[in-house]
Amino acid sequence: MAKTDKRLRVHFSPDNIDITVREGEGLLKAAMAAGVHINAACGGNGVCGTCKVLIKKGQVESTRTEKISEEEYEQGFRLACQSRVLTDLVVDIPVESRLETAVLSRETGMVAGGVEPAEAIATGWSFNPPLNKCYIELPLPTLKDNISDLSRLLRGLKRRCNISNVSVDFEVVRKLPQVLRKKDWQVTTTTLVKAVKTKADRRKPTMINIEPGNTSQKYYSLVFDIGTTTICGQLLDLNRGKVIAEGMAYNGQIGYGADVITRIAYSQTPGGLKKLQQAVVSTVNQVIDELFAQSQSSVEYVGHMIIAGNTTMTDILLGLDPKYIRLAPYTPAASFIPPVKANSLGIRVGKHVYLFVFPSVASYVGGDIVSGIVGVGVHQRKKLTLYMDIGTNGEIVVGNSDWMVTTACSAGPAFEGGGIKHGMIAATGAIEDFEISPSSLEPEVHTIGGTKPRGICGSGLINIIAGLLEARVIGQNGKFNTDLTTKRIRRGRDGYEYVLSWAHETQTGRDIVITEVDIDNLIRAKAAMYAGCQTLTKSVGVSCFNLEQVIIAGAFGSHIDIEKSITIGLLPDIPRDRFIFVGNGSLTGARLTSFSTDLLDDARKVAAMMTNLELSERADFMNNYVAALFLPHTHAGEFPNVTERLAELPDSKSGRGLNT
Amino acid sequence: MTFEIPKTQYSGQIREITLGTGNKAITVGGETGYPFYLFEGEMPRLPQIAMEVYDAPPDEWAPAALEPFLGVTNDPVAWAQKCINDYGAEMICLQLLSTDPNGLDRSADEAAQVVKRVADAISVPLIVWGTANHEKDTEVLRQVAEVCQGKNLIIGPVEEGDHKKIGASAIAYGHTVIASTPIDINLAKQLNILLGNLGVPDEKIIVDPTVSGIGYGIEYCYSVMERMRMAGLTQQDDKLQFPIICNIAKEVWKTKEVHIPTEEDPALGDAKKRGILMEAMSATVVLLAGGDVVIMRHPEAIRLVREMMAELTASQSN
Repeated sequence: MAKTDKRLRVHFSPDNIDITVREGEGLLKAAMAAGVHINAACGGNGVCGTCKVLIKKGQVESTRTEKISEEEYEQGFRLACQSRVLTDLVVDIPVESRLETAVLSRETGMVAGGVEPAEAIATGWSFNPPLNKCYIELPLPTLKDNISDLSRLLRGLKRRCNISNVSVDFEVVRKLPQVLRKKDWQVTTTTLVKAVKTKADRRKPTMINIEPGNTSQKYYSLVFDIGTTTICGQLLDLNRGKVIAEGMAYNGQIGYGADVITRIAYSQTPGGLKKLQQAVVSTVNQVIDELFAQSQSSVEYVGHMIIAGNTTMTDILLGLDPKYIRLAPYTPAASFIPPVKANSLGIRVGKHVYLFVFPSVASYVGGDIVSGIVGVGVHQRKKLTLYMDIGTNGEIVVGNSDWMVTTACSAGPAFEGGGIKHGMIAATGAIEDFEISPSSLEPEVHTIGGTKPRGICGSGLINIIAGLLEARVIGQNGKFNTDLTTKRIRRGRDGYEYVLSWAHETQTGRDIVITEVDIDNLIRAKAAMYAGCQTLTKSVGVSCFNLEQVIIAGAFGSHIDIEKSITIGLLPDIPRDRFIFVGNGSLTGARLTSFSTDLLDDARKVAAMMTNLELSERADFMNNYVAALFLPHTHAGEFPNVTERLAELPDSKSGRGLNT
Repeated sequence: MTFEIPKTQYSGQIREITLGTGNKAITVGGETGYPFYLFEGEMPRLPQIAMEVYDAPPDEWAPAALEPFLGVTNDPVAWAQKCINDYGAEMICLQLLSTDPNGLDRSADEAAQVVKRVADAISVPLIVWGTANHEKDTEVLRQVAEVCQGKNLIIGPVEEGDHKKIGASAIAYGHTVIASTPIDINLAKQLNILLGNLGVPDEKIIVDPTVSGIGYGIEYCYSVMERMRMAGLTQQDDKLQFPIICNIAKEVWKTKEVHIPTEEDPALGDAKKRGILMEAMSATVVLLAGGDVVIMRHPEAIRLVREMMAELTASQSN
């Protein structure tokens, strides 16, 4: 129906937010306008079913969809994106449709590189942040020495701090006379190395701020990993070289689609780019607020921001039109983006703060991967290394200090819980570990935070599928063995499913299941990652077995189970001691770069040395992909240890062994 | 220095499997080289040709295809016997067209009785081909398997979606299964593994890679079959060392070209000859790609193919 001028009130619980809308307004739009987050993985096209809401009072006009069961429809469940407001409403957003808005705090207090395994962190850099603060006591001007305020300052800077060849932002000059005289010619300057030169002594700093008195002990930087699904940030104390707070939140753009392609499509609608830009900035601001709340420091002392993200995410953040990323021959706006004032993008930091974006390699190989490589130091070692960033857009690098090739494969959001019936990202209540009794086929689940389960996160999915395969509950094709006598396996709306937790054991009050469709989605995601690795390594004439080191990064919770990841065929079956899990590699790179100008320089070199391979141009990728759509793989020889182990496992009640 | 023709080094062998029972049972497979590469490897026996019989009178056949079987098309037993006695069929393939839920939708019970009558009347191996409808094939082929216990029928198509139930019946009643996948080497291998996991013995599997006639993508089928043979014979891939069956007649005789009468398009030549040649050529192509059993229809096309095989293998004796 068309929108009329009649005004109606919609109340959203549990947020307790009211909004007035016109009759006929879409419910998902109304929620977004009210700042109430509802998941909508497909961008509001009615196909994903993630925006399910409960209409408690009032009437909506709603298109029937198979995503709502008969029973749910009776109870009043509707898809928000398919519903239009007809009367005043009270709408309840169930827990699984809600986008977490709270920032998940993590343990803080890490020193630079303190938590990462020593062998997987960049080395050889000195602590010399691109941002520098310098306290100077200037001699008072006299008639004999009446050079300009600025010349006096620069002279002082050279004498006291040995910083010369400085360019000065006009904003500094504007407030210079007042600031110098405020505390008797005692000032603290902030300089930033913006443009990086290969020779350290030729680096040219820019003076970006000046403060009265001595604030040289207080200078911070912010580093962010802008992911398609998750945004992670850290507040760094540059005086002590420490992380003082860490936080993460869901990217506010999720409401506009789950993957970069849907987002780019949305950016092409009228006002779309602006909305997306505001959504991500608002998430960044929210994380910044949380970081400062945690650390009890003040945002005014932040002098620098470094951001790593995939090309689409950084383009949208900067307000650049990402249209051509999606169109062949896939050209991004720029690989090296000059530093911009963060404030001009809407980020709530001081006016003087510059934002540095990690350079990207190609449209689908972004600054996040460059950052990851720099952070873990792949470019510093001779060891043949495979670096995998497992996420919605999986990125893979093979190489060492001499050469690097890289590729991106679209794995889909399954690893972050997307497209999975009860999927969620790695937050409290997510099932992350799973054991199954081979005799009774009863599961044992463990959640993040030890709470009642609410959903399944990526690492949980991997463990569940490995467990089900080992217990022969599913076959190598990911299909359920329906001959088993257990009430856990049943026929649901999406085909067969296995009940992980019964309704009374969960936070949602409904059974948490894993369906054949979920398993299929994860198999497709892992096949894309593995086939990507295989195609990339083969393109440079090596096999997975030649790899000396495999570094895994990704938005998983605290860990990823290497053994189980190999069991399902996500990671190559090579000696386990060659694997290192580094968590969020991009954030590590951004942090270290914030600590050391040398690494800022490395980032440019790494981005320039990477050769990008477009998988869509490779005929063998599709063949490798179909071969990888099996557990662990169609070719047993690729997974010799897994195959042997599976063959030795005892048969389950009805099934026979896995044929090797 | 004399020139030596380089030779492929083979490390594998195609499995030998026996179809049917008794003294008319036929063994297929056993190759140790690429098809008809007798200068490199062994081809212990010629590929076999099975002749098609339908369980209901065909109503849309080209006159050329129908002509050799006039008078027997409403009796599958007589039809099968005619193939064997008049045209020297080494095997029979009974196409269960009438069970198609979108067609006559005959019951599993009826179909099983027809199969049993044919099986009892002939002694050559019998292939039973369903409609590729998972639910219906499961129902029909399970019953067929049961009533023909011990006859070592070759039943299919068995696809990923119905492999468990049909596979289990085949194991229980001692039949061979046709592992059928849509023109993809990886999918073919995956189904072979799944059948193995289920407990189907290796000597009870024959692979249907899905084929099409000339002009309808046969080069794609050729390439997939060729790669299967390469994997099985030179890369020790034991999950791809199964004999291959090609259900080609059905594909050829449903094309537009075999139905156009001579007068409608004289440039295409004589309609009867055209259909026969298209079948013979299509069969030749799949044989050269590695087919071990080819399902054919027209006796004249079969004669041409036999002649071709004889010629290809004749130089061996010189």
